[in-house]
Amino acid sequence: MKLDHSQPLEYSSEQGRLNILGFWIFIGAEIMLFGTLFASYFTLEGRHGSGPSGAEIFELSPVLIETILLLTSSFTVGLAVHAMRLKNKKAMMTFFIITLVLGAGFLSMEIYEFNHYIHEGAGITVSAFTSALLTTIGTHGLHVTLGLFWGLFILIQVAKRGFTPETANKSFIFSLYWHFLDVVWIFIFSFIYLKGMM
Amino acid sequence: MKELFPLKQVMGFVFSLVLTAVALLVYFVDMSFALGMTILLVTAFVQAMLQLMVFMHARESEDSGLILSNVYYGVFIAVVTVFGSLLALIWGYM
Repeated sequence: MKLDHSQPLEYSSEQGRLNILGFWIFIGAEIMLFGTLFASYFTLEGRHGSGPSGAEIFELSPVLIETILLLTSSFTVGLAVHAMRLKNKKAMMTFFIITLVLGAGFLSMEIYEFNHYIHEGAGITVSAFTSALLTTIGTHGLHVTLGLFWGLFILIQVAKRGFTPETANKSFIFSLYWHFLDVVWIFIFSFIYLKGMM
Repeated sequence: MKELFPLKQVMGFVFSLVLTAVALLVYFVDMSFALGMTILLVTAFVQAMLQLMVFMHARESEDSGLILSNVYYGVFIAVVTVFGSLLALIWGYM
């Protein structure tokens, strides 16, 4: 395999560079996917029938905690990539573990919130509004869940094999995915929660 | 220890917290719907650009032209989908 040592490890092979480009194309498709979910949500948000409306079920504090957790985890995964470029395996793994713990914290808050909605009588089958709401937020939550397992497996590979062009590439691509989930959450936070409570 | 916290990323993180705080104004301050939505649109899109440029290193690779045009294309389709749906199904037009 031909390696270009002037580049960071994750870009050093042709395959690695193309993997990163390919993942960006996937992110483009994900942006469109969430675009369609937001379009359905904005179209249906007023259609709550006899069920509760957004203003009645949204609570600021859990949502704010989720936002801070995810923003911080996005920062720490950025630091993990930076540590990886300094070839500091211990620091990289520490930041990576913090990221996954914060992600797990986010997910538990979200599960708590979904539980709360169902207790408030806002299950997914109640109205067009609750269907669109829970599908949009649930799709994001599913991405985070998948990311937690994915990140865990990459962490194990890095622990076992150290930094190779492959593990560095996988870690970098995971960081792109994680930052992207943070961006999606910012839009959920702004245009579903804050707009709903305004 | 210090080299593990590059200034650019720390500043990016602080700025993203500031943007979140600004977005929270729409909850705590009584304002018109139009003003609130303007604040949310600005803070959300600035936050997205910040993540893209500072944390996702979108400009550093030699493929950055391809990467950014693909992302902007995705955003364009998403924006057309959202506003097109709103126009056709909610707002209507005269």
